[in-house]
Amino acid sequence: MKGREHRLGMLYALPVAGFLALSFLAPILLVAAFSIMPQKVFTIFHMPDFSAYGEFLAQGYWRSVAWSLAMAFAATAILFVICWPLAFAMAKVFRGFTLVLTIGVVMTLFVSENIRLFGWVLTLMKGGLIEGHIRHWTGTGFDGLLYNVPVIVFGLVYVYLPFMLFPLAQGIAMVPDDARQAAFDLGASRWQILREIELPLAAPGIMVGCLLCFVLSAGAIAESKLLGGQAVIVIADEVETAFTYGQNWPLGAALAMVLIAIVGAIAIWGISKADLDAMIGRRR
Amino acid sequence: MGDIPILQLNGLTKSFDDFTALHPMDLKVRDGEFLAIVGPSGCGKTTLIRLLVGMEDPSGGSIWLRGERIDEIPANKRPTCMVFQSLALFPHRSVGQNIEFPLKLRKTPPAARKERALELLALLRLPEEYYHKRIDQCSGGERQRVALARALAFDPEILFFDEPLSALDYRLRKTLEKELRDLHQRTGKTFVYITHSLEEAMVMSDRIAIMRAGRFEQIAPAAEIYARPTSSFVAEFMGEVNLFDLRDGSGDLLLTGAGNEFATRPGTLMIRPESLRILGPDENAEISMSAQVSAEYMLGSRMQYALSLPSGKAITAELLRENADGPKPGDSLRLGCAASACHLIPEG
Amino acid sequence: MKPSRLSHILLVLYGLLILALLYLPLVSVGFASVSKARYLSFPIRRYSTDWYGKALESDTVRELLILSLKVAGLVTVISMVLGFFGALAFARYQWRFRKLYQKLILLPIFFPQTVLGLALLMWFNAIGIVPSWKTAVVAHLVWIAPIATLIIAIRAYSFDPALEEAARDMGASTGEILREVTIPLLMPGVISAGLFAFLLSWGNFPLSLFTTGADSTLPEWLYAKMVSGYSPLVPTVGMLSVAASALLLACALTIPWILRRVRS
Repeated sequence: MKGREHRLGMLYALPVAGFLALSFLAPILLVAAFSIMPQKVFTIFHMPDFSAYGEFLAQGYWRSVAWSLAMAFAATAILFVICWPLAFAMAKVFRGFTLVLTIGVVMTLFVSENIRLFGWVLTLMKGGLIEGHIRHWTGTGFDGLLYNVPVIVFGLVYVYLPFMLFPLAQGIAMVPDDARQAAFDLGASRWQILREIELPLAAPGIMVGCLLCFVLSAGAIAESKLLGGQAVIVIADEVETAFTYGQNWPLGAALAMVLIAIVGAIAIWGISKADLDAMIGRRR
Repeated sequence: MGDIPILQLNGLTKSFDDFTALHPMDLKVRDGEFLAIVGPSGCGKTTLIRLLVGMEDPSGGSIWLRGERIDEIPANKRPTCMVFQSLALFPHRSVGQNIEFPLKLRKTPPAARKERALELLALLRLPEEYYHKRIDQCSGGERQRVALARALAFDPEILFFDEPLSALDYRLRKTLEKELRDLHQRTGKTFVYITHSLEEAMVMSDRIAIMRAGRFEQIAPAAEIYARPTSSFVAEFMGEVNLFDLRDGSGDLLLTGAGNEFATRPGTLMIRPESLRILGPDENAEISMSAQVSAEYMLGSRMQYALSLPSGKAITAELLRENADGPKPGDSLRLGCAASACHLIPEG
Repeated sequence: MKPSRLSHILLVLYGLLILALLYLPLVSVGFASVSKARYLSFPIRRYSTDWYGKALESDTVRELLILSLKVAGLVTVISMVLGFFGALAFARYQWRFRKLYQKLILLPIFFPQTVLGLALLMWFNAIGIVPSWKTAVVAHLVWIAPIATLIIAIRAYSFDPALEEAARDMGASTGEILREVTIPLLMPGVISAGLFAFLLSWGNFPLSLFTTGADSTLPEWLYAKMVSGYSPLVPTVGMLSVAASALLLACALTIPWILRRVRS
């Protein structure tokens, strides 16, 4: 029995695992190889030097990394605060309305992210939905709300909200009602229940949600390009520029590797701690 | 405290939408008493206990603790606490942290918390090393003790129990029932215990309240409920009994002497299986009947017989097994008992 | 312990507010798509559906639609197959490297998509494949196949292993078990995974950006127009794309309901 389970498991894992090995792992290894090539070459058959990483330090690309990480951090923190009450209500308070919310939020995922961000441009720009109407009604307008750092963070919060909301709701659903009631009965205030019972017991969902949002925001590009204009250049933007306008693949690869290293380390650390059977299968 | 009961319910009711879970209920619980509330599943006993601890709001009536009204106070401000059916131990905390939880909420200093937790571990006969154990490393019986210790650490005026033993196997349940009784005597606290098992209630409690469909049927000490049930529901809930409806005459029963007085009062006559004995050919009893044995079952030291009466009514009798040649299935015989061993339930 | 009526109402209002904010940009796009003016400015003074007519007549838009459909269709079929077997290995069978496999499968979902697209571009270049819409299918699958696997896995977790064992006990071979027991039981999960796969591929932009070569999908074309200055076709084609997703989703949600009504 065990032998057959093992064989079948291996066999069934093979298609998707093989596919990802060829079109996920292999390309990343190739990027890693390119990143140590001399500048401006287009094959990996050269003497490795690490000049691209030197360029990363010398040209101040770390600033882009810092901006990306800082905005990702801000977006994640804001998302956590915004989503917690709603996720809590979805898991513990609402009945039918949870389904409405779920469908409503999931549907936005199916609309291309650049259409939605473009919609925010139309909403927030000078002469857009908000400013245009305010000027029409009051006679005085303002300069529009686009092209600054806060609006980029707002864009990140907007785009990645589902990636925080659903893991949080899943995590909160794992908190037994009995444990909350017992704490209440033993004299805990609403705030103490949150700190002592709900936050620690929902930790797996909190971790997954925060990780997803942080990692996706750190690698995001469209928010800063469409909403932020040239307010700041994020790291993913630098990667793209190096590959396309710069025609400097090793530099692009090195920049990509820095992003991959940061994001990958966080993702692998987080995923390795999560009990996926409990989270996805709701088995305890 | 004198006459003021520690807990008093006045016309307490609860309804959900169009369903009335609890009809107006009155109850007085004495200080230091062990009261068991017993009833079949769905009778409203869980709703009742949730009202008493404050997890639900009543639809009407009031709850008083030592003469102070508490039904408006939320559960976390009431000086009572409950041991949950699931125990509701915090899985992310150690045994010690679970027990210290209520003390931590009250900002007791860590040293004093630990001292109290160790005292409680000792009181519940758990080794001191358990202080650092994780909850998922404890057995079912150990978890019961941890849950009790946590509730006692809260130092409640009244400790409520919501069937905490129901998930355990028979032998462990029996041991813990006795421990709980013992704990009640040592701590002197008031215990209110919900269960669907009358057997459990009888072993532990001073008084039993029997519930049915959102109402109390009878509230009395165990011995009185056993001997003098006030309704056939209570009589049948106590275990196997033979009930005879005497409102349309004596039926299968032959009543003589003191037995005759039952014939004049309408009601239901209760005869316990162990009160019946086999009558010899010339022997007579105040209440007697002829019956045919249809099956026999061994109960250990006793034998149980299923019998049918001339009208077709099925009854049960239990006899000591000392008689080597007792009746066999198919035998016809006469059974009898004394009028004083029977009880007349006034209702139908 | 239960939240009061007031807090319940406040939470519902909060949920509605979040939903409203999620859809607000689409409202703006919707208004922009029916504005008659070539240069958009709110409030809109004259409405017209001319731009829809122009968009539907345009050959470019038709080609974009067909190409996006081809990509999304292929991604859907392949990810359903990969996800089906992947989910069985994820949730159903206890095998030695399962925990490791579960974690590796999740990595692509966490990966920055723009960087992934670029890495794939380099990879295709290195192994001598000219990027076209077919390579975009591969790129989409790297991200969507793991998601499909997870969606089917949710269903596979609730699958009672005794069912397969009972079938085996009655003499069914592994293939027969798959056909008679496993596939029918996991079918709802496979279908919802297919729906997700289609819609996610249809709307995906960052993966397509570098991997389509000379071809272009709908979101890619929209992006190119957005960054090169305003065109009244952008909101119109954007709304058409959203309408297509909504239509498919509406069908997916109502067809099972209608089938159930017809059967009973």
